[in-house]
Amino acid sequence: MEFRDIQERVHTGLGGSFEVQDEIHDPAIIVPKEQLRAVCGFLRDDESLRMGTLRIITGIDRPAKKDSTESGSIEVVYHLCSYVHGHTVVIKTLLDREAPKVDSVQDIWPTANWHERETYDLLGVEFEGHPDLRRIMLPKDWVGHPLRKDYEPPKEYHGIPTTREAVLQAPRVEKVSPAQHEPKSDEPPERFIQLNMGPHHPATHGVLNFLLETDGEILRRVKPDVGYLHRGMEKLAERISYPGTMPFTDRIDYLGAMFTNHGWAMACEKLFGVEVPRRADFCRVIASELNRLASHLIATGCLPMEVGAFTPFIHWLREREIINDIMEMICGARLTYNYMRIGGVSRDIDQATIDKILGWLDNFEPTIDEFNRLISGNEIFVKRLANMAVIPAEVAVGYSLLGPNLRASGVDWDVRKNEPYSVYGELEFDVVTGQGWRGSIGDSYDRYFCRILEMKESVKIIRQACDLMPEGPIIAPKVPKKPAANEVYARTEGPRGEAGFYVVSDGSDKPYRARYRMGSFTAMSVIEAVTPGLMLADLVALIGSLDTIAPEVDR
Amino acid sequence: MTERTFPVVKDAAVAKDDGSAVLGATLTSCSQPGEPSPLVLTTKLDNLINWFRGNSIWYLLFATACCGIELMQTGGPRTDLDRFGAVFRASPRQSDLLIVAGTITYKMADRVRLLYSQLAEPKYVLAMGSCANCGGLFQGSYSVVPGVDSIVPVDIYLPGCPPRPEALNEAILRLQDKMRGERWFHRIKG
Repeated sequence: MEFRDIQERVHTGLGGSFEVQDEIHDPAIIVPKEQLRAVCGFLRDDESLRMGTLRIITGIDRPAKKDSTESGSIEVVYHLCSYVHGHTVVIKTLLDREAPKVDSVQDIWPTANWHERETYDLLGVEFEGHPDLRRIMLPKDWVGHPLRKDYEPPKEYHGIPTTREAVLQAPRVEKVSPAQHEPKSDEPPERFIQLNMGPHHPATHGVLNFLLETDGEILRRVKPDVGYLHRGMEKLAERISYPGTMPFTDRIDYLGAMFTNHGWAMACEKLFGVEVPRRADFCRVIASELNRLASHLIATGCLPMEVGAFTPFIHWLREREIINDIMEMICGARLTYNYMRIGGVSRDIDQATIDKILGWLDNFEPTIDEFNRLISGNEIFVKRLANMAVIPAEVAVGYSLLGPNLRASGVDWDVRKNEPYSVYGELEFDVVTGQGWRGSIGDSYDRYFCRILEMKESVKIIRQACDLMPEGPIIAPKVPKKPAANEVYARTEGPRGEAGFYVVSDGSDKPYRARYRMGSFTAMSVIEAVTPGLMLADLVALIGSLDTIAPEVDR
Repeated sequence: MTERTFPVVKDAAVAKDDGSAVLGATLTSCSQPGEPSPLVLTTKLDNLINWFRGNSIWYLLFATACCGIELMQTGGPRTDLDRFGAVFRASPRQSDLLIVAGTITYKMADRVRLLYSQLAEPKYVLAMGSCANCGGLFQGSYSVVPGVDSIVPVDIYLPGCPPRPEALNEAILRLQDKMRGERWFHRIKG
């Protein structure tokens, strides 16, 4: 359905007429806040709409202009999408800036729970009817909401100087007194065991904290506490120019930096109206798929390590070093690539590199089968993962899981296939969905094995792309400095699922608001729903199978 | 019972006051021909202890962000930190070295203090990467600590974003140098 049809369906279905903002790239329906819940419920349940997935909730602060009598407002933007019909819609609601309050939609889409908490934390929007509206990214005792345009950061926090000048003047730290820093749970004591896992724990893939409530070894409740790596990237983007934000996107997802690069580049290209040369698109695809391999190597290597098998990890690190070498030949960096530019790529992939890639692929493909013989069929490994933490398709869609986690639950959705971008439309590959290989569809083993099979698909894609790559320029000749005022949403299919970039421009050379939507954030929010009844040790395997990484959760 | 003569270690005993003497000086064997020589090494206790310590740096696996991946790769098959006796531990109680690999936020800052105070003495801190050194790219952010040295004392600063495994390797070797130069035994006595 096109936007016009969706708009008409909403109007006839709900009997009313909503304002529409259609001068922007992805037109939005503006809904009064009183009717938000009715509209959301209708969008989800109507047969011809079926907006089952909430992609992201974004808050945009719009303070009053200096010499204006109007008071400012806060926009809350909902990006919705239907996997059934393959269409998308954006709805917006405008709130009073002084006391922003809106009804919660977390019972319509469970994934809204965390998104609303984040919007509350960073912008101070209160979601009425939310069961657990606490700060999610920042510490409990933090003051203010950083994504407000008039936010002033504190001068010091817990004795740590926060400004550059204060840091330079502060005396060197010699002694550390830990007395008051014992972490405490804010839960009332019960007869069950309260356990704190993290934020420093080797199996949590970075820094995140779980408050566990266990009955012996059985988990009763798991509350993820994230935000230990919240680096405020969205705020930083507001201060730095469009091309200057590119290196920051590397660090959102350090295992899949090519995809965040690509997403940011695509969003900016939409804004600036720049055409990417064909050769650059092929360079991007080759680099991205190599990156997907590198990321899946870590994911499928770490999971066996988490359940006690260290050797497979070392096998994959060996292969990964070679990908890193190739990446160095392509863009000069091993991990944080900063390869893409608005309108193209920074360096060409020459024939020597292509020969090295193809030569390595010939060696690597049999290694996947060798790896399967080593661990994928291993009985202990299978028993740990099969039928463990099953995520059914409707839960996966409701919690807006992405990428291999979504496909393992049997949902056939891959941005590369369903909304092809770059040159993916011309390349042949299969979308791997969970088959219940060793247990039921959507269990941890499926999530693991989906990634293994996806690596084979990536190998296919790289071979085709190397074959089809035409000659030509690698970057668009002219990129304007300032875009027109507009709003765009771009998405790429990263190794942890769809990376979404929502960019709001006000016509200056810096983004007015940038919002990143990442796969690990929603994957982390589903943990609370699927863990009750699991064993304590299964939690570690579950995190490994979801392949979450902390900077994606926290940004 | 035949009287045995022991090999004499020359040079090794010539330790300087700052404790910088190097072990492994020439061994001169004085034993009888055909008889296996019993090796005796004379050195300062400081040097001996430092030799042991330098070759068994157990580091705490404390990977917060991007640098953590390079830390993993450094422990991997190509760079292989194990050959210097440096192995990762999951618990601070078993570690000598805190490698701060990645960005530290204010929310994490208290936990870093806690981890540091749980490390066994003598302890060292290696700030890996720009974020740990000074906040790096995120220096201007409202939630990032501008350098881990405003929370805990830092011994080695390793630049890079992220540093390559070879660089981390070099940092471990520098830490070994630093350990060798220390008069640790004196510190214990008083």
